[in-house]
Amino acid sequence: MQEAIKKIIQRRELVCILVERNLKIRYKNSVLGFLWSLLTPLAMILIYAVFAKILKFNNGQPDYLQFLVTGIVVWQFTSGCLNDSINAIVGNTNLVKKVSFPRIILPVSTALADAVNFLLTFIILVIYLAFTGTLSISANTLWIFAAAAMHLVLGIGLSCLCSVSNVFFRDTQHIVGLGSMAWFFLSPVFYGTELQTGVLSGINFLPQGIIYLNPMTGILSAYRAGLMGLSAFPAGMNPSWMLLSAGVCAVVFLLGMFAVRSGDKYFGDIL
Amino acid sequence: MTETAIEVNGITKTFRLSASAGSLKTRLIDLIKKNRGDTFTALDNVTFSVKRGETLGLIGANGAGKSTLLSIIAGTMYPTRGTVKCSGSISSLLELGAGFHPDLTGRENVLLYGAIMGIPRETMLKKFDNIVDFSGLEKFIDQPVRFYSSGMYVRLGFAVAVQVDPDILLIDEVLAVGDSDFQRKCLDKMNEFRRKGKSMLIISHDMHTIKSISDRIAYLDHGRLKGIGDPDSIAARYGADSLYGKTASIRREWGTGEARLTGIKILGEDGAGCGTATRGRVLAVRISWEAANRIDTPTFGFSISDDSGRTIFGSNTEIDGADIPFIQGQGTVTLYVDTSSLASGNYMLSFSLHSRDHKINYHRLDNHTPVCLDDETHFDGICRLPTKWEIR
Repeated sequence: MQEAIKKIIQRRELVCILVERNLKIRYKNSVLGFLWSLLTPLAMILIYAVFAKILKFNNGQPDYLQFLVTGIVVWQFTSGCLNDSINAIVGNTNLVKKVSFPRIILPVSTALADAVNFLLTFIILVIYLAFTGTLSISANTLWIFAAAAMHLVLGIGLSCLCSVSNVFFRDTQHIVGLGSMAWFFLSPVFYGTELQTGVLSGINFLPQGIIYLNPMTGILSAYRAGLMGLSAFPAGMNPSWMLLSAGVCAVVFLLGMFAVRSGDKYFGDIL
Repeated sequence: MTETAIEVNGITKTFRLSASAGSLKTRLIDLIKKNRGDTFTALDNVTFSVKRGETLGLIGANGAGKSTLLSIIAGTMYPTRGTVKCSGSISSLLELGAGFHPDLTGRENVLLYGAIMGIPRETMLKKFDNIVDFSGLEKFIDQPVRFYSSGMYVRLGFAVAVQVDPDILLIDEVLAVGDSDFQRKCLDKMNEFRRKGKSMLIISHDMHTIKSISDRIAYLDHGRLKGIGDPDSIAARYGADSLYGKTASIRREWGTGEARLTGIKILGEDGAGCGTATRGRVLAVRISWEAANRIDTPTFGFSISDDSGRTIFGSNTEIDGADIPFIQGQGTVTLYVDTSSLASGNYMLSFSLHSRDHKINYHRLDNHTPVCLDDETHFDGICRLPTKWEIR
């Protein structure tokens, strides 16, 4: 793994250029171009605002719209990594078959391109929260860094896993489509962690901290704690459970590295 | 710095034939049925080395494993068994413009390609004008490459690739593309690499080019290394082999069958058979025949054609004044041809036995016997004409 990270750092110029390429291609030939990465979150906030209002759906949460939009913006990065990485290796068949370079760079640069996109959206989100007066700046703000670190590690890990898996099984793209939808509803995106612990309280033999086994639970809670000053943990929860989410992110990352390293040998044969 | 640039040691590469289907369903079925799939051996225990500053040509028929070998050396494929050791940086021209993205402009693609090859951006920017100059695409460099013609694509690809300035350059049949002007540019560039003492490994089907640029040639046949050494002799061997391979498909035998040609044998200088390849000036061919019934005034004929099927020369016993009154039973005739006016190369012999008036073809063997003529004295063109100079 150290080797993989060393390679990425050595070839950082290639990583930068590939990130740039991924971003450029995304909006190539569209009239508004890069503006879309700002317009999309704005439009999204608007749509959710209208529907949450009409449906009167608020989950008993104060500032529910801000809560929801934060969740959606954060989730977009995860689902972006999942969906874009599908083609990170398969879509660059020509390159993989004809030129030798560390393959890990392909999924990593896809994830980083999504991260850049996320950063832009995140700025919009911060402006929106500030505008509506829900942005809180305190010691809690430090949670953002923890959340972003976990999120990036998870995103890169997922990118590596999906991109490699799709080389060997083209079924991956369909599985990822369904899986990410299921994951979305299992994660506290439009509801709070209290809902999860509430459901779990009926099952006695499971510790409530088990909800942090889903890394998105930890990540979403941490972002919301950092941005909106909400408590990162449901009442009565031992904060050390957050480490479970961090641990899962690290495991996914390691699995991703491992997948690329062991799959690398066969890319040339299979593609 | 070691003396060896590339060391290929016992490389074997097998492919699983069913693996390409690669959906989860077929994989599961294979797993349950314990079906490991058929394998195909693309390379079979290949060992050789390329010295620093040496240019090695790689020849062989389609499917011989040349490109697989190059991919393994380039590091885009892994061998099933064996090892490859390379000292120095490698640049591979496995396919020109391989990494180009159609939606990016020529300029963006050049920088992307440089980054993939591992060249620092500043170096690339410094070389940028050279690259554009070499490709001759000044006007189009800021257009997306999907608007490029295939020739422009390749020109830009080559222009970038040669700027990399590696220690080892791998080239896979890239000279087949582009017009003659561009091909000459490529050849010049390759010669420049040679002068700079870089090692090169080149695949080409153009025998003339590969012979002129290589120090040694390696000949691959069905994944095996059949020979490595002096360009002329290895190329001649490959030429002869491919001619044999071809013989089977173009050979044709026909006639009424009243009399038959039962054997063709090329004789050595001592009169013994020497297979179907020969060195030397006079080609001696013993033709065996059999005729159940008496046939009056038969004529034996032959013709010799070159690689591309053009007939070079033909004659028969009647033209040459060797009349045969009749044949019956079995016997042989021997043909002597002075081939010293023919250029070295691979030729094909056809034989016939027909009636004197050409009305009845008893037996004809078209494209029957390949011969490889290897003359020590070289000259331009396909045949030697008697020449004389008068100088006052």
